[in-house]
Amino acid sequence: MGTISSALSIMSQALDADQEALNVVANNVANANTAGYTEETPDWQENQPISISGVSYGQGVTETGSTSERDRVLESRLDQQQQLAASSSTRLTALDTLQALFTSASSSSSSTAGNIGSDITSFFNSFSSLEANPTENSLRQSVLSAASTLAGDISGAAASLNSQKASLDQEAAGTTSQVNALTGAIAQLNQQIQTTSPNADAGTLEDQRQEDLSQLSQLVGINQITTQNNGMEITTTSGQLLVSEGTSYQMTTGTVNGVTDFFVNNTDITADLATGGGSLGGYLTARDTDIPSALSSLDQLAYSISTSVNKQNNSGTDYDGVEGNVANSANAALNIFSEPTTVAGSAASMSVVMTDPNQIAAAGAGDGTGDDSNAIALAALNSSTSTIVGGKTPSNYYANFVTTLGSTVSAVKTENTAQEASVTQLQTQNDALSGVNLNDEASSMTTLERSYQAASQVFTMLNTVMASALNLGDQTTVG
Amino acid sequence: MNRARTKIGSGEWRTVMRVDPFYATNLVSSLDQAQASQQQLTSELSSGVRVSSLSDDPVAAGENTVLLDQIQQDDSFTTSSSTVTGQLQVADSALGSVVTQLTSAISLATSANNGTMNSSNVKSVSSQISGILDEVESLANTNYQGQYIFAGGKTSTAPFSTSTTTSPAVTTYDGDQDVNYLVTPSGQKIQLNVPGSQIFLASGSSSVFGALNSLIADYSSGTVDTAQAVSDTEALSSALNNVSQQRVTIDNSITQVTAASDAVSNVETQLTTAQTNLMQADIPTVSTQLSLSETQQTALEDVIAQLNSSSNDLFSKLPA
Repeated sequence: MGTISSALSIMSQALDADQEALNVVANNVANANTAGYTEETPDWQENQPISISGVSYGQGVTETGSTSERDRVLESRLDQQQQLAASSSTRLTALDTLQALFTSASSSSSSTAGNIGSDITSFFNSFSSLEANPTENSLRQSVLSAASTLAGDISGAAASLNSQKASLDQEAAGTTSQVNALTGAIAQLNQQIQTTSPNADAGTLEDQRQEDLSQLSQLVGINQITTQNNGMEITTTSGQLLVSEGTSYQMTTGTVNGVTDFFVNNTDITADLATGGGSLGGYLTARDTDIPSALSSLDQLAYSISTSVNKQNNSGTDYDGVEGNVANSANAALNIFSEPTTVAGSAASMSVVMTDPNQIAAAGAGDGTGDDSNAIALAALNSSTSTIVGGKTPSNYYANFVTTLGSTVSAVKTENTAQEASVTQLQTQNDALSGVNLNDEASSMTTLERSYQAASQVFTMLNTVMASALNLGDQTTVG
Repeated sequence: MNRARTKIGSGEWRTVMRVDPFYATNLVSSLDQAQASQQQLTSELSSGVRVSSLSDDPVAAGENTVLLDQIQQDDSFTTSSSTVTGQLQVADSALGSVVTQLTSAISLATSANNGTMNSSNVKSVSSQISGILDEVESLANTNYQGQYIFAGGKTSTAPFSTSTTTSPAVTTYDGDQDVNYLVTPSGQKIQLNVPGSQIFLASGSSSVFGALNSLIADYSSGTVDTAQAVSDTEALSSALNNVSQQRVTIDNSITQVTAASDAVSNVETQLTTAQTNLMQADIPTVSTQLSLSETQQTALEDVIAQLNSSSNDLFSKLPA
């Protein structure tokens, strides 16, 4: 049989429980804008009823803490998508800088400086002009000045590419300290979580671990594997262990072939990181794929123009009657450009070595200086039948390069837009579940307030009932 | 929209519709996008150029490079062709004068050959033809902008010189047989010169200087070997025909250069139109897009302002 005092005890427990629940709500409201905070809901548990003479009496309620509103699958998907988006967005930023070097001229009348496409045309056109008057000094001068502009713009673009590569390298290397700090923090959190909450959600600790994972996902591509006792293993997408429960493995850097490579446990994981994702993946893709590809196209262009033009100029006779030396073009008298020895690096080192415009060999070998057959041959290096650069004319090769580069940038842009949209969608889903919704909190607050008021009212009434029982009907003795 | 099981207050589980409490943040990123698109559209409007970076339209960017290359080639050819036309016209007019001179030499020789002249008149014919020879030689050594135009490739030195140590005197050619060409953007080769030896020292009986020198020698003594003189006069006639024929080559070149230059100008106009169409922003479309984007921005700003106002919160409705 129930007693008044047990009813009083039930109500005092209810008041405690309501207070604790209010505490949870207050904590939610306080953390409404905390990054990584997961909304918590109070847990209620009905007390074990007691059975007296076959009749079961309820024993009130206990507040047993709170549960974080978390969906691990959703969080992990969000992390993965963030890795992809961070990678493509970093790569896109690098590509945007890269493509600015090759932005097309809008019209033929604009200044040609800075535009390699126009430079190529102007250079070979200067030979066409020379056909009309092969002995004219001003036309010869303009060949040399067009050559200087072309060489200057190509070597300038190559220098910009190289310095962009160096700065990407630096930024990538700088990422390692952030990665190491995060993996260290996650290992520590793993230990705490495994100790304090091996079987259930660890609340705030898990919030912190999830926030660290999300930050790590911005930096590198990772796989997360949940282990026993709520522990976690983190590997790179290629499977190299970064965190194993309570232990983290430091990522180190070292210089290999002039660029920074990345190591974990003495294994070089640079190539895997490049394809893995995260901003590090983006940096490395731009550094190791995009820039080298642009540079190698420029190298090919510079090498072919330099060697072909030198060879052709040495096949003729200059204004002073000097004939070039085709057999040994490296020591040839009539080189216009410095003769490159290898394709690699040709763009960066492209320069004009000829200073005397008289050395331009407009005349054919053995011909008088008024002849223009070699000028025709020089101009023909960029005519539609020429195949000096990769089977194309220099102009077409450059146009092809521009289209390829533009298509790459455009493809990465599209990819990034799609990935960002997917991140937003997942983020919305995750926030809908885990974010603190102030309206919900206000409603919980009101409910709990009412419930607390009710409990205290019941308590007061029970108190009156108890007083009546003590006084046995005498209203004056106990108030 | 997510559905989550939750239990609040009452202790009873229920399924409620959850919304993203940070939806205003997403709206702000939409606002950023609207502004970025306005920036792009405004820059298209102000520059008039549709493709401001390669990734805007990679194919157009590549095509543009090729078109500009062709336009510049055409432009450069148009400039060259006017230089070349000047040079060809100088050659043509020099040969025109040569024809006049040779015609008068032939009429002088013909009158000397008919046997009615006395010795001193014959000698005078000799010196007149000698004067014509000097004139023709000077025409054959015509230079244009410092370059001897009938010297083949050896344009830096005067190609013709006459040595009077022998009789008849001998005019020699120091030039070469080189022929220069101008290549049009379409690959057509236009001949720019005729080597002087082909015009003035043609082999056989068509040598201008040979015939003139022979005639001077024929008449120098005052007595005429009529058979020899008639034969030399015929040689001069034949030489005159040859000069006229060679002049036709020059005239043909002038016609070709003019025709090629006109054709190239037409092509250039077409290419420029194509290039402009390719790269130019479509102003009405861009303006419409800009206006739409502005409307969207205003709407977004209103929505965000509305959502962020304090009355949109259940807390604000609770009793103080």
